[in-house]
Amino acid sequence: MAGGGGLVASNCTLQLKGVSKSFTRTDSQEITTAIDNINLDVKDGEFISIVGPSGCGKSTILRLIAGLIPPTEGSILLNGKPINGTSPNRGLVFQEPTLFPWLTVEDNVAFSLKILGKYKEKKKEVDRLIELVGLSEFRNSYPHQLSGGMAQRVALIRTMINEPEVFLLDEPLGALDAFTRMNMQDEILSMWRANKHIVIMVTHDIDEAIYMSSRVVIMAPRPGRIKKDLIIDLPYPRNRMSDEFIDYRKEIMENLNF
Amino acid sequence: MEGVKKLTRDDILELEAKPKSKVEKALDYVIAFLPTLFGIAHLLEYLLIPNHGMNKHTKIYTYFIGILIAVVFTFFIVGLFNKKVFAKLRYKAPFYSFVFFLLMAYDYLTLKTGILMLPYFPWVDRILNAAWSDRAYLLDCVKNSLILLFTGYFIGATTGLITGILCGYSKKVSYWVSPFMKLLGPIPSTTWIPVVMVIASSLFKGAVFIIALGVWFSVTLATMTGIRNVNKDYFDAAKTLGAKGTQLVTRIALPFALPNMLQGLIQGMSSACTALLVAEMLGVESGLGWYITWQKSWAEFAKMYAAIIIICITFITVNWLLTKIKRALLKWQEEVD
Ligand SMILES: Nc1ncnc2c1ncn2[C@@H]1O[C@H](COP(=O)(O)OP(=O)(O)O)[C@@H](O)[C@H]1O
Ligand SMILES: [Mg+2]
Repeated sequence: MAGGGGLVASNCTLQLKGVSKSFTRTDSQEITTAIDNINLDVKDGEFISIVGPSGCGKSTILRLIAGLIPPTEGSILLNGKPINGTSPNRGLVFQEPTLFPWLTVEDNVAFSLKILGKYKEKKKEVDRLIELVGLSEFRNSYPHQLSGGMAQRVALIRTMINEPEVFLLDEPLGALDAFTRMNMQDEILSMWRANKHIVIMVTHDIDEAIYMSSRVVIMAPRPGRIKKDLIIDLPYPRNRMSDEFIDYRKEIMENLNF
Repeated sequence: MEGVKKLTRDDILELEAKPKSKVEKALDYVIAFLPTLFGIAHLLEYLLIPNHGMNKHTKIYTYFIGILIAVVFTFFIVGLFNKKVFAKLRYKAPFYSFVFFLLMAYDYLTLKTGILMLPYFPWVDRILNAAWSDRAYLLDCVKNSLILLFTGYFIGATTGLITGILCGYSKKVSYWVSPFMKLLGPIPSTTWIPVVMVIASSLFKGAVFIIALGVWFSVTLATMTGIRNVNKDYFDAAKTLGAKGTQLVTRIALPFALPNMLQGLIQGMSSACTALLVAEMLGVESGLGWYITWQKSWAEFAKMYAAIIIICITFITVNWLLTKIKRALLKWQEEVD
């Protein structure tokens, strides 16, 4: 819970063991290997960023962990148990906001609570989160009345409201302008620091990865695999201008062959 | 946004509109008053010009036109105080005037000059009298028609929603039902009337079946299409938020397909109205369709027209209600104006 401050330790771990995923195409016999033999151990309280060229399987990894698709080979364990299908405990924020257009902002945020029958006890949380992202005035608006940035913020809190043990973010801030983006980065960080769960974020912005994460996973394409697993050993809040920051950026760039 | 004046949509439209000159404004008032003028002109024409030959007229039409004039005049007076009402009247006024003009022209060509002759062209006063004298019977017909219409409609709509949802959602159901849809779909349900009327145990049940069949078809097809088109991303999003099984149907597929379903329901209503009239004209011995054929066989054209007008009014009202319901349910959609 957010109220518990930064001291909560729930000791959850996420393990990907030799995970591969291949897609078959419906129109031909061709097989695409999206990711190949991914091994990743994520401990409680880690904030992982995944960077890599497009098509290297970043979204696929998130969808696998979310349980939307099963791995072709290997296994994914949460707290030692293999994951089975989707769960509100593993929340995924999609690249596109995918808000439900027939629900107001408020009802979108409350969607999960209503599904899980927790709406009555956690109604206040809906208000708090809408306030947090500065959309109180739009609580009764429908998604088509929101700007891209506003919609993405709603998508973020719609998943956040479950306080998932594993919070998966697929380029969540890509559509935002630079200013809103930096605000949202800090908001996600403060949420993460409050409940210390696992966050795995895909991003194409190297600075964002260094600014936010405790660990950056760099991927290479065809087939998607992990090229480098880099711990970012800097205290929060981080200074984007510091020498260490710039060194990390250089190291990541080199790994991405720029 | 404290301290900022809340603008309404109308305020904004007014602020952004091009300013109108005094002449244009005056012209707007004249146009808004035109329907009243045309109404009065028609009334004078009806009362003052002598009738052709033996043609007679009564006070009923005087009252009828009098009420219409009162309505457009009240509209005008309210418009003087309410900008929204005025704008609406200003927009509709030319057409209302035209309607009065048409009524006047028709009255002149029938009652006053006999250019259009009886019995095929009764003047409106005659139609109103026919309707009034037969009112108890006509009301009964309206009642019977509506009972038949809505019995068939509700049966067709309910089963249509169920099969539509099942076909859209389950490949197995679709496998068995879709071929029939493809085969029977293009055939209008009225085709089956002669067969059904013979087989059915009662004419009423047969007619219900025919009406329900057409509604069932359009609702099933629309619902199925709606549900098949559900964006997969919404299902994924809902699943990661904890939705499972039937929740995915009720919380995602149904709301997503709602616009299609409503479209199917409205389309179904128009096919139901057609089927109703054909069924009544061909077999069922009650209702407005039957009344029309019956009066026609007696060459009572005034009564026939009265029934036709009542049919128009009834169907327009039903459709208007459905459209209102649709609007209310779909207020989340992007407005297209
Ligand atoms: N549902 C799918 N069907 C077929 N191929 C897919 C599917 N999802 C992803 N892929 C393929 O897998 C590869 C990795 O995709 P993705 O994970 O979306 O990459 P990224 O998010 O890193 O851009 C791509 O080559 C893509 O074409
Ligand atoms: Mg992607």
